[in-house]
Amino acid sequence: MAIDLGAVEAQLSTAFPGAVVEREGDWLVLDRDRLPSIATYLRDEMGFDFLTHVSASDYADHLDVVYNVYSTRPELQGPGLSFKVRVPDRVDARVPTVTTIWKSANFQEREVWDMFGIHFDGHPDLRRILLWEGFEGHPLRKDWHEPYYEEDNKPFGSRWPYPENPRPRSAEQRVHWRANVQYPQGFDPEDWDLGADYPPLFAPKVEINGIDTEPVYLNVGPHHPSTHGVFRMVVGLQGETVTNLTPVVGHLHRNHEKIGERNLWNGNIPYTDRLDYISPMYNEFAYVVAVERMLGKEVPERAEYLRVIMGELARVVNHLLTIGFQFNELGAMMTPMIYAFTEREHVLDLFEEASGARMMHNYYRIGGVYGDVSDEWLARCRKVVSRLDRKIDEFETLLTDNEIFISRSRGVGAMSWQEMVNYGVTGPVLRSAGLSYDIRRVEPYSIYESFDFEVPTYETGDVYDRYRQRIAEARQSIKILKQALNRIPATGAIMDGKNAWNVKVPDGELYSRVEHPKGELGFYLVSDGGTNPYRYHVRSECLINLAALEAMSVGHLLADAIVILGSIDITLGEVDR
Amino acid sequence: MDWVADFWIPLIKAVVVVLVLLLGGAYMTWGERKICARFQVRYGPNRAGPFGILQPLADAVKAIFKEEIVPNHVDKIIYVMAPGISFAAVLITFAVIPFGPEVDLFGQRVGLWVGDIEVGLLFLLAIAALGSYGIVLGGWSSNNKYSLLGALRAAAQMISYELILGISLLAVVLLAGSLNLREIVDFQGTWPLLVLQPLGFLIFLIAILAESNRSPFDLPETENELVSGFMTEYGGIKFALYFIAEYTAMVVNSAIVVTIFLGGWKWPALISDLHPLAGVGLFLAKVLFVLFLYVWIRASIPRVRFDKFMRFSWKFMLPLAFVNLLATAAVVAFL
Amino acid sequence: MTVSQVVFILLSIAALGGALGVVFARNLFRAALALVLSFVGVAGFYVLLEAEFLAMVQILVYVGAIAILIIFAIMLSRRMMSSETQPWNEQWVGAVVVAAALFAALVFILSRVDWPATEAQVPADSISQLGQALVSPDFYVLPFEVASVLLLVALVGAVIIAREQ
Repeated sequence: MAIDLGAVEAQLSTAFPGAVVEREGDWLVLDRDRLPSIATYLRDEMGFDFLTHVSASDYADHLDVVYNVYSTRPELQGPGLSFKVRVPDRVDARVPTVTTIWKSANFQEREVWDMFGIHFDGHPDLRRILLWEGFEGHPLRKDWHEPYYEEDNKPFGSRWPYPENPRPRSAEQRVHWRANVQYPQGFDPEDWDLGADYPPLFAPKVEINGIDTEPVYLNVGPHHPSTHGVFRMVVGLQGETVTNLTPVVGHLHRNHEKIGERNLWNGNIPYTDRLDYISPMYNEFAYVVAVERMLGKEVPERAEYLRVIMGELARVVNHLLTIGFQFNELGAMMTPMIYAFTEREHVLDLFEEASGARMMHNYYRIGGVYGDVSDEWLARCRKVVSRLDRKIDEFETLLTDNEIFISRSRGVGAMSWQEMVNYGVTGPVLRSAGLSYDIRRVEPYSIYESFDFEVPTYETGDVYDRYRQRIAEARQSIKILKQALNRIPATGAIMDGKNAWNVKVPDGELYSRVEHPKGELGFYLVSDGGTNPYRYHVRSECLINLAALEAMSVGHLLADAIVILGSIDITLGEVDR
Repeated sequence: MDWVADFWIPLIKAVVVVLVLLLGGAYMTWGERKICARFQVRYGPNRAGPFGILQPLADAVKAIFKEEIVPNHVDKIIYVMAPGISFAAVLITFAVIPFGPEVDLFGQRVGLWVGDIEVGLLFLLAIAALGSYGIVLGGWSSNNKYSLLGALRAAAQMISYELILGISLLAVVLLAGSLNLREIVDFQGTWPLLVLQPLGFLIFLIAILAESNRSPFDLPETENELVSGFMTEYGGIKFALYFIAEYTAMVVNSAIVVTIFLGGWKWPALISDLHPLAGVGLFLAKVLFVLFLYVWIRASIPRVRFDKFMRFSWKFMLPLAFVNLLATAAVVAFL
Repeated sequence: MTVSQVVFILLSIAALGGALGVVFARNLFRAALALVLSFVGVAGFYVLLEAEFLAMVQILVYVGAIAILIIFAIMLSRRMMSSETQPWNEQWVGAVVVAAALFAALVFILSRVDWPATEAQVPADSISQLGQALVSPDFYVLPFEVASVLLLVALVGAVIIAREQ
């Protein structure tokens, strides 16, 4: 599953003498100063046009910024190139940006800046993305001390509006750090003007066709019925046409990654459920696959089958729900959504019986799954699968040829796959634009290699094609489910060895990705050989797919922007982490 | 002055009609939730009373007891006035709709209508025009961008569809030879106008759906784009007023459709010798059928996008209405 | 005082008050609303004169279309709420002179005309009579057709302006 690193290194060294500073396991350490030209070479000459993951890691004496690039060329699809650049200076950490080469780096570099304080030179819009401007420090740095836990201060002050008359038993009176708040230097929350960070709410006059007009800026969200949670878009409108759109995320941020570093390797599994809470099973899948790759662990066959069954059920449910929500956004008064929820209930019943929980399953284990299922369960599952099969037909009968739907979705949000790849868009949205790129095929994990299924694609990548794409993928998942339910071994272990409470993962780092229902869900893990991750990063497909939202929406109407957002299919639990 | 005939009977009629309308509007909310629920494989309200029959009452009590919030930034007078305008316009509309023939009740000759004016049809259109002010003023006075966009849409939509409404009604006037709704109903003694004007009926139905901001044309409030459109800043009893105005408008509009195209209280030609009050029952049944149509459409069709909707109005519906009018005029003139 | 006199006074207050509101309101939107009130008052006069048709057309055309268009234009072109405009400008002297002259002329004419009061009832089929008058060569067919040509020209002009984009 590895790429021929030696050949890449040789080619790079010929083109840029001294570009490869060092080779570290499966990673190449590249020359920081020449990164943009090396990156351009990687993209244009070597075919690595698909940058999916940018992150960083803090090692007491230096910081590493890591990149994972892949290729969409048919002959090069598969494992990609992992490289990193080293930042020795912790105080004035600087790396040249690659946003100009791969637009998908935009949000991810902002996140790295937010979490690690690494400044990306040349980044067009380097602001904090998940935290607010008044946050002191960069929390994923190892020398950052957590307020409340490690440090005697708080990240923000009391909101009690009468300082001259403090509440007698307010939290500030009781806790020992009192009102000791720490803000960045020169930051005053009273003066903090939200508008300064975002497009102005009342824009200056512009002249269009000889007429002075004022574009209207509309705050869609965070309290808006159609933003799938607490997501905010600042939409510039000319009439009702979108002229620009800025996604603002982070309202649900809980620093999942910091929590992940404190947890045991095992203890992270239930936390991954909270990422994309529409299909938690697959989040666990992604995480355990990543840890098993680090451990080199084999998983028993029956457990693999159970994993695939759970994962594909989750995929079908996710796609049906997405379509349901999509129609809700189109104004179909909840009917398709509730039809989708009806099907979800049947699948959740199965999940509940297998894992004990309807939503936060905590079912996958490192090296297996939590519990075996009975033969009755499998029989019921077969019934549910054939029911889902029929229900997908029903969805198609009811929705596919609806004229209002077609007139509202054809050509809306269309984007070529080349552009999507540049934006780092993955999953059904990318495939609906015509690129057959499914990680289950190009870089198989678990036992997906043994199943017979196709990777459907459509042509235009508009909202209508995304809908058809999801229907087609749900059908393929049903196909996989039927095969898996036929071939699952009747008996067998469901864990590799005994169920360990604690796992020690050998030294190393790795980026592992799976085909989550919404796109490429990746985990970047660094271990120092201990019982908890040294660095734990989630490559959130929801957040990165959002990067293309503006490009997809501009020129369409506000109503279309909402529909496009829905068709990208985000879950805020994962966007904000 | 004949006090009984000129004062008491009209007063009693008006009070009864208003009460029935209010009740109808309130129960329309219940009916819609119930029917929609059935479309969506669920139960709908079933906690307050048997079959949730007391749900509208519970909703009303809740709305009344809610805190009256008037946001700081609104234009207070207009903000408070707007829902009232909406509501009043809806109630006034019903004044000219005959819901039964002239009957003998308690020794008095009573016509089952509130007002019998010569220009009833025009009255309907005029009051509908006033009704749009409720929405436009509510949207403007809220001082909120979502509300403003909703109000803009409402104004544009109403202007466009009022035209179509009027032109499709002109064909009716040509056939019936009167603007008086009672006479239009009388004209439908043998066959409802639906038979003579199938195209006109369809145009009228679509236009009135648009006029009353109902799905799939509920663009002024589009929850998914404009939060609640012109109602975004409203809460408590003021929101309830808007809400009940919308549902009462559904009842009134159904009554209009029934009166103009479905023969009002008249039985089809085959059945004639029934007690006059049976006509009122038939009228109600027809109204309920049209109301069901409303809910049916809402539960099954996604919303049209605003620009396409306007294009549909001006480029398709309006010419179609003109064609219908011309054809009707030709038939009336040459046959 | 009869009922209709009371109603007349109320309607006059509405119509004249509305008209004053149009010129004195500082907020453009409110001025437009006052205009609506004035229109409705005039429609009330028509009802009082048993000219129901005219009353309905007054509401339909002036309240339902023209005023809505004005409000539409205001909502599209001004910032919401914040448009406190000055109702006076530097031409107010000239305006006063013209208005006073017009008022004097109207009063002069009104006082010279002998207003006949008839006891005749409004005919029952006034609407069909009105309709026939509009298309009859003996009455108003020429003005009617001229008006329709004018409207057609306006329509075509509007389409041409809108097509430029």
